[in-house]
Amino acid sequence: MTSPAAPPVCPYCGTSAGTAGASLPTCPGCGAPLDVALRVSASGWLELPAARDMARIQCGHSSVQIEGKIVPVADFALAPGDSVYFPHHELLWKEPGVNITQRSLAGAWKRMLAGLPVRMLDAVGPGRIAFSRDAAGETLAIPLHAGASVDVREHLFMVATKSVAYDWFNCGVWFQTRQGDETETHFPIGMLMDRFTAPAEPGLLLIHAHGNAFLRRLAPGERILVKPSGLLYKDSSVTAHLHFERPRTSGLSLWTWGERYMWLALYGPGRVAVQSAYGHTHDPGGRIVGGANLTEHQW
Amino acid sequence: MDAYQRIVCKWCNGQNTNPTACAFCGAPLDVQNLVSQSGWREAPRLRDMTQIHFDQSTCQVEGEIVPVVEISLAPNEWVYFEHHCMLWKGDNVPLTVMNLQGPKRSFFRMPHIVTIASGPGRIAFSRDATGEIVVLPLQPGMEVDVREHAFLLASGRVSYTYERIKGLANILFGGNGMWLDRFISQQALGLLVLHGYGNVFERTLAAGESIQVEPGSMLYKDASVTLQAEQIKLSSGLFGGTSMYLARLTGPGRVGIQSMYHHHESGE
Repeated sequence: MTSPAAPPVCPYCGTSAGTAGASLPTCPGCGAPLDVALRVSASGWLELPAARDMARIQCGHSSVQIEGKIVPVADFALAPGDSVYFPHHELLWKEPGVNITQRSLAGAWKRMLAGLPVRMLDAVGPGRIAFSRDAAGETLAIPLHAGASVDVREHLFMVATKSVAYDWFNCGVWFQTRQGDETETHFPIGMLMDRFTAPAEPGLLLIHAHGNAFLRRLAPGERILVKPSGLLYKDSSVTAHLHFERPRTSGLSLWTWGERYMWLALYGPGRVAVQSAYGHTHDPGGRIVGGANLTEHQW
Repeated sequence: MDAYQRIVCKWCNGQNTNPTACAFCGAPLDVQNLVSQSGWREAPRLRDMTQIHFDQSTCQVEGEIVPVVEISLAPNEWVYFEHHCMLWKGDNVPLTVMNLQGPKRSFFRMPHIVTIASGPGRIAFSRDATGEIVVLPLQPGMEVDVREHAFLLASGRVSYTYERIKGLANILFGGNGMWLDRFISQQALGLLVLHGYGNVFERTLAAGESIQVEPGSMLYKDASVTLQAEQIKLSSGLFGGTSMYLARLTGPGRVGIQSMYHHHESGE
């Protein structure tokens, strides 16, 4: 007698597809298509597939539908009493009956200094409300199982369900340069990082990736260097610091750039996700006089 | 196919004999209409190189990320457009300027020059942003309002005017500026081509039905749909608390929105 096969698990978010498993075209947890082959690069990056147009994700009694492929819309159908929270500029449309209120955030002054939104809004069901970001890319659904947490780079958060707790912390990724008498502090991935945790029950987090998104799992102690502004999210177990590489030069240098490459060094264990379109990371060059856990390599 | 069998396009209601793409708006006819559970219908993703016919001229949509609209104009036919959308043209296609109230429009940062290209010849248009081309065939009697700078071109049979948005709150917080472009097809079928940033969705509101949208997302609406900016109170406080503005659209009629709603300057 053979034991029944275990229900299939989504390779992207780990959600079990349940008994309906094999017949489901999309993951009920993150909306990723399940009926296509995994796309893994030779270097080990797993391409996060864009949610199929009109894919539906269930979160408790509520659900969300991902619509569109260029700038996708996350369209929530909120059950009575269910709620989501979001930065105010993510709202695309809502039914007039959906009530939205402002939630207070601790450390508003510090958030303002760091350039983060100081207003977070709650929308309470029943009713429909939709969100989108004004940039081409992918809407990534990250289901959080009870007890799980994930760290997201600032300005990427779109919306989360009420069972997901929101916190933020100093990411500790910075360096200082000095030119003349002036010392300048730089934060290549921002001063603060968002942390989302599902303390008691599962929840759903939606973020926006510019361009395409890729994921890899780092083994304990394994290191990868990524462009700082390319980081999307990481498991809280993944640690990060800045690493500078100086290329070997021959002869006279014209000092037309910083003379170095700046990387974000990430150490496992845990997941790391990057986006293919990223903003410019400014390194003004000049002498580095301080920073948190900086490392350097001269080629 | 039976000569009497017609396929009705679910997007523009045009009757077609070609089973693959609508001859009037280019919508694929052999794929399912994508409608969300909330009732928004996704604008048809036009297949690369789709060809659309209007009068004796043709329009071909090329590319999928930043699509190009290429017009092959028949003799004595013409299209008009905002001049910064022009991508290329044949050197024998004459250009003239439509007579508008230039200073008034310039004052309100609307294009004060709307250019006319006349056939025969070829001319192509694109907008410098990722998005979708929306082809709206206008049946006689139809009036469509379009947000500023979203229109790519219209055929000569469509008359063009602009409608001032009424109400100070609408102007200041409505996200659509002070004017809406109004396109009217009076006696014959006309063609209106828009560019929407990101993805475009449409729904038809029943009489009295309303929806609140981010003001910058409104792309087009039937003239019968009213637009009203509304203040949403988020918190109360000593100095009036905080609030945000949304645009309330009330039916009857069609409403089109774009998912990338940041207001892009036209660079005019």
